[in-house]
Amino acid sequence: MKWIDVQNNQSFDLESIVYLRKDDFSNTVSELLQTGSRMIALTPIDKNIPQKIIAVLSDSASSTIHIVGGNFSDGKFEFESWANKYPQTNYFECELSENYGYLSVNHPWLRPVRKQSVILGNKPYQFFKLEGEEVHEVAVGPIHAGVIEPGHFRFQCHGELIYNLEINLGYQHRAVENLFLKAKPNQRIFLAESIAGDTTIGHTFAHCSALESLTQTQISLRADVIRTVAAEIERIAMHLSGLGGLTNDIGFALPSASYGRLRTLAINSLAAICGSRYGRGLFAYGGINFDFTNETIEMVTENLKTIQNDVQKINEYLFSSVGALSRFEETGIINNELANSIGLVGLAARSSGIEDDIRINFPYSAYRYNPVSMITLSTGDVFARARARAMEMDEALRFVFEQIENLPQGKIKSEMGNLNVNSGVISIVEGWRGEIVHIASIDNSGNLMQYKIKDPSFNNWYGLSLTLRNTAISDFPLCNKSFDLSYSGHDL
Amino acid sequence: MNDAIKIRILQGDPIIHDVKSAVGLPLFRGLPTIQDKPCLDGCNKCTEVCPTNAIKLSPVKIDMGLCVFCPECEAACPEKIIHFTNNFHTVTDSKEKLVVTKETQNVTPEIASEKIRKYFGKSLKLRQISAGGCNGCELELNALSNVNFDLGRYGIEFVASPRHADGVVVTGPITQNMAKALEIAYEAVPNPKIIILFGACAISGGIFQNSDKTERKFLEENIIDLFIPGCPPHPLTFMNGLLDWLDKN
Repeated sequence: MKWIDVQNNQSFDLESIVYLRKDDFSNTVSELLQTGSRMIALTPIDKNIPQKIIAVLSDSASSTIHIVGGNFSDGKFEFESWANKYPQTNYFECELSENYGYLSVNHPWLRPVRKQSVILGNKPYQFFKLEGEEVHEVAVGPIHAGVIEPGHFRFQCHGELIYNLEINLGYQHRAVENLFLKAKPNQRIFLAESIAGDTTIGHTFAHCSALESLTQTQISLRADVIRTVAAEIERIAMHLSGLGGLTNDIGFALPSASYGRLRTLAINSLAAICGSRYGRGLFAYGGINFDFTNETIEMVTENLKTIQNDVQKINEYLFSSVGALSRFEETGIINNELANSIGLVGLAARSSGIEDDIRINFPYSAYRYNPVSMITLSTGDVFARARARAMEMDEALRFVFEQIENLPQGKIKSEMGNLNVNSGVISIVEGWRGEIVHIASIDNSGNLMQYKIKDPSFNNWYGLSLTLRNTAISDFPLCNKSFDLSYSGHDL
Repeated sequence: MNDAIKIRILQGDPIIHDVKSAVGLPLFRGLPTIQDKPCLDGCNKCTEVCPTNAIKLSPVKIDMGLCVFCPECEAACPEKIIHFTNNFHTVTDSKEKLVVTKETQNVTPEIASEKIRKYFGKSLKLRQISAGGCNGCELELNALSNVNFDLGRYGIEFVASPRHADGVVVTGPITQNMAKALEIAYEAVPNPKIIILFGACAISGGIFQNSDKTERKFLEENIIDLFIPGCPPHPLTFMNGLLDWLDKN
């Protein structure tokens, strides 16, 4: 066997990874990509030994994660790029190059991921530039017009139309991955909560699951169910926020204000559970910090009932408005083939007809016993991404009501043991945007030696830039909001 | 049209009318209180669990500028000395006043100078700058404009351009990659101007205080007018702080 297969959240022995010579490594990864696996990480498993890297690929059909090792000890850090044939690996190769000095030979477009004024390959990076008559460039950011995170956008326009949008990020880079290695064990959960403040529960879920697997800690069913309930409330809240943003961007004030009001109810439900409107402080290693009392259940139920009742009417109003539909439909299209080839994930992928949902394909925690339904749409436009939010919200509401009615009994927290030496784990969670991957590995003295995070935004920013080709700049806010990607989750 | 009216009726009256006396949900962690009783001999459980080194012992003090308002210290203290109340009033006008001791009763900022109130008392336009913020603070600042909080009713609004602003609200630990942009944006704000730090990251670095990718020189070079603690601070904390400061509460 040229690679090892693991399951989501299954801890594995680091010694079991097979490290192939570079050509063999490159071919094996190609082979797996060819058979439909998708890359989810490309990184050294030990930060201090950059010459040994792993490529992690997930195969949704068989719920398996493949780990291929590559050994570059005897020679240059170079391998043949996969990105020409499989554009989904493009950004992973850029990241590996930026962080560890690898060069993927014949890479179509090596560009910086997080660092500013970086030298990639051997020349300083220049923005892509279009030249010719009727050509102009529009540069926006890092500071944008609204209360949002920073990022730089460079539009190369031909007349009214966008020829290319280059998205340059990294402004939020706080070195979270390094901080995980430096942090005291009691700081790690708080770091996880602040990877992306809008996906606090998603990232903390992935982090806790990873460390619990590495310590073989068993979580009680009650804690598992409450974790998934909180994750679904976060999904409801952020989908409401997304719909509020989309309606705001088309100047449709009434639904926008209504979604805003309902979102307050959703995040206040989280505050009723754990005191923080974003679910901070809820997760603890081995379970959760706050149990559901009758009062919490009552308040959460009441809030969500209001949301369920109101949102149905508001959705109906929105999705039957001709004005709204004409703005949403056929704007920012990303078709199924393109979505597949660039490795889009999560809500955006499902809106382009890709059946990919970690809760279903790689079930974890309480989703193993209490499944959710897959929601896919086929058109891949802003309409699909808006409609998918509405539908996922319905499904999340159904899930939450079902779970809190039949909450299993039990303790909410178990004691966590010591970290298994020489082991690693891959923990994948479906955040509200999509696939969140946390990879942790432990050295022979029981310390974290690598912590790798992949937010769904890492995959999807490229998708946003492609949807804008041949559309007008005025469509940018709407397309951007329909993806609603994280800067801090990408920048780390 | 009928549908629109129905939806408007569903909205009801969601606004929080009495901002000053509003309190958080029972579990909400706002202003901490420290009971006047001795710690157990040699006990340092609270400082051990604190992720941001916000607690000092003998006597117990909590620096709200560092605090991320997590539930750890309250749960760890065997003597129940530390307790987080659901009080939103935690804003101060100096970093020192963010330290809560057993003597602390109420926290409010000193009323701003007459000059500031004359300039900004009726209309205050702010430019928010996210310098490494995780989007938690940004979400709460955005929430200020929704129908529940409606900050605009007090003449306080967020604007798109620093040229239109009377001051900046900084979120995030100020990353190296944003340090320059923050400086440029602040420079573009016409005088007189104010600086508000929103959230633990901006005030102290918070959970990112040990990051080697931050560049916090901006804070040393400029005078900070308001400190809004929290992770993220609640919208009502921001509102009360500003209204108290401008003497409008």
